[in-house]
Amino acid sequence: MKDIIFTVQSKKFLSESVFELKLHTRFTLPPMRAGQFAHIEVPDASLCLRRPFCLYQFDRHSITLVIAVVGKGTKSLSNLKRSDTVRGIVPLGNGFTLSVRHQKIALIGGGIGCAPLLRVPYDYPGREFRSYLGFSTKSGVMFCEEFEQALSVGFLNDAGGGCDGLKKSSRITVSTDDGSFGFKGYAADAFLADYKKGYRPDVILTCGPEPMIKAVQKISAELKIPGFMSGEMRMGCGIGACLVCACAVREDGQVKNKRACVDGPVFRLEDLIF
Amino acid sequence: MNLKVTIAGTEFKSPVIAASGTFGLGREYNAFYDVSLLGGIATKGLTLEPREGNGGTRIAETPSGILNCVGLQNPGVEKFVADELPFLDKLGTVIIANVAGSTEEDYLKIAERFSRTSVDCLELNISCPNVKCGGVAFGVEPASVEHITRAVKAVCGAKPLIVKLTPNVARIADNAAAAENGGADAISLINTITGMAIDYKTRRPVLGNVTGGLSGPCVKPIALRMVYEAYRAVKIPIIGMGGIQTPEDVLEFMIAGASAVQVGSANIFDPMAAITIVKGLTKLLNSCKIDDVNEVIGSLII
Repeated sequence: MKDIIFTVQSKKFLSESVFELKLHTRFTLPPMRAGQFAHIEVPDASLCLRRPFCLYQFDRHSITLVIAVVGKGTKSLSNLKRSDTVRGIVPLGNGFTLSVRHQKIALIGGGIGCAPLLRVPYDYPGREFRSYLGFSTKSGVMFCEEFEQALSVGFLNDAGGGCDGLKKSSRITVSTDDGSFGFKGYAADAFLADYKKGYRPDVILTCGPEPMIKAVQKISAELKIPGFMSGEMRMGCGIGACLVCACAVREDGQVKNKRACVDGPVFRLEDLIF
Repeated sequence: MNLKVTIAGTEFKSPVIAASGTFGLGREYNAFYDVSLLGGIATKGLTLEPREGNGGTRIAETPSGILNCVGLQNPGVEKFVADELPFLDKLGTVIIANVAGSTEEDYLKIAERFSRTSVDCLELNISCPNVKCGGVAFGVEPASVEHITRAVKAVCGAKPLIVKLTPNVARIADNAAAAENGGADAISLINTITGMAIDYKTRRPVLGNVTGGLSGPCVKPIALRMVYEAYRAVKIPIIGMGGIQTPEDVLEFMIAGASAVQVGSANIFDPMAAITIVKGLTKLLNSCKIDDVNEVIGSLII
């Protein structure tokens, strides 16, 4: 991890209140993995805390973040302009780690919680991914093309379907709560619909609002499919020192307060206590 | 250029010390820079038994500051001595063990334990606002400050005892004098100021513990005033803290009477904060044509 001065390369609004921020540096960035995050300074002197955002896209010289405007800090970040500079620590957190047993992977994301899941197929090429992307309504639907692309990794000869025998498009299920686009219902419901049709993943990775994570935790327990989640916590230092981002998780039969910033943000679903 | 300061016989290579509760046990920041370049490190508050800390939300941002209610999450004294102290020992900077108890017996046991270790100083934390029984209960009334200081001083052997004062009191000068009367070798101030944040939408407190400790640049004027008042009340050295973010802030606290300072929340805002202040202090002293940082201590002109 390093504290780096980034330059804003581009900013693009994906919906009314969600934007994509691409930050560039001439320095070579340390290796990064899906599920890790960046701790970004806010360009407002009265807001002292940095803000943690998952790494949505990254390469050796840039990171791309997806940010929802929810308060003063994210509003301030939304006002950044091309060539403005902003400091950030990258990469932080444990990220998603799959074992060799995890060949069939279900990605279940809700809203901007889909963002940290995007890079998983790049980290584990050649495995069989299906993604369930949930949004509240049609106008909020995003990330579809990016997931199409991500799920094509290792499936270049895709004319007749990938190695899981499915066409690319059927590996991505978009759902909306109100049914205005795609599957009507939650992303977890869309997953269950496929499960009923015989889909049996080895592992579930999920990120999104707390009710969704709770629902996926229940599904994971009932169907006996292990799962990992990435959550959202108020954070302080981001590097494991201040202990304000404690998450209650089970460890060796005891409840422990783990640091979301370094012990997480990815935790096993079965260990998580709400 | 001399940056060395001496407090209760302990020499600090720089007057800039990392404050308890913001620097973990040193390791995390060592990944960013050589933490041995700091004047010292005050550990996270250590209790007799391991503590998991408070549940629920532990931090809230406020204008130019933060509220926290971690609740002294720490591995406990024995685990600290076994697993963390050997690392800290090798650094070659002053290690201050922050001692946090909930009963007088706790404080005495921890202090006695540390008297038999390699830590350089003890910092008596009678000012944590975030634990229910004890902690700050000893720190509010001057009589109890004096009592606990005397009791702990009697068991900490040759280790210098720094008493960390809470600002949530009627007259800070009285509490500073009480620590001195109890035998403290130095005092440090201020710990956080009790505060609160409310979410108007849910009508609930933001913090799991309802209230928390306010820190950051917003508290600096209060801290500066308290250091100034304490300096006029005691002869023992003062370690000043509260919202320090720049080398200029360091000089202001030293002019008010601090012999050294602690940098706390700034570490949370910026992992390079403490070392940036150390490096900047040399430049600042140069530009002010000050050869020895000691000459600014208590040099306030009124």
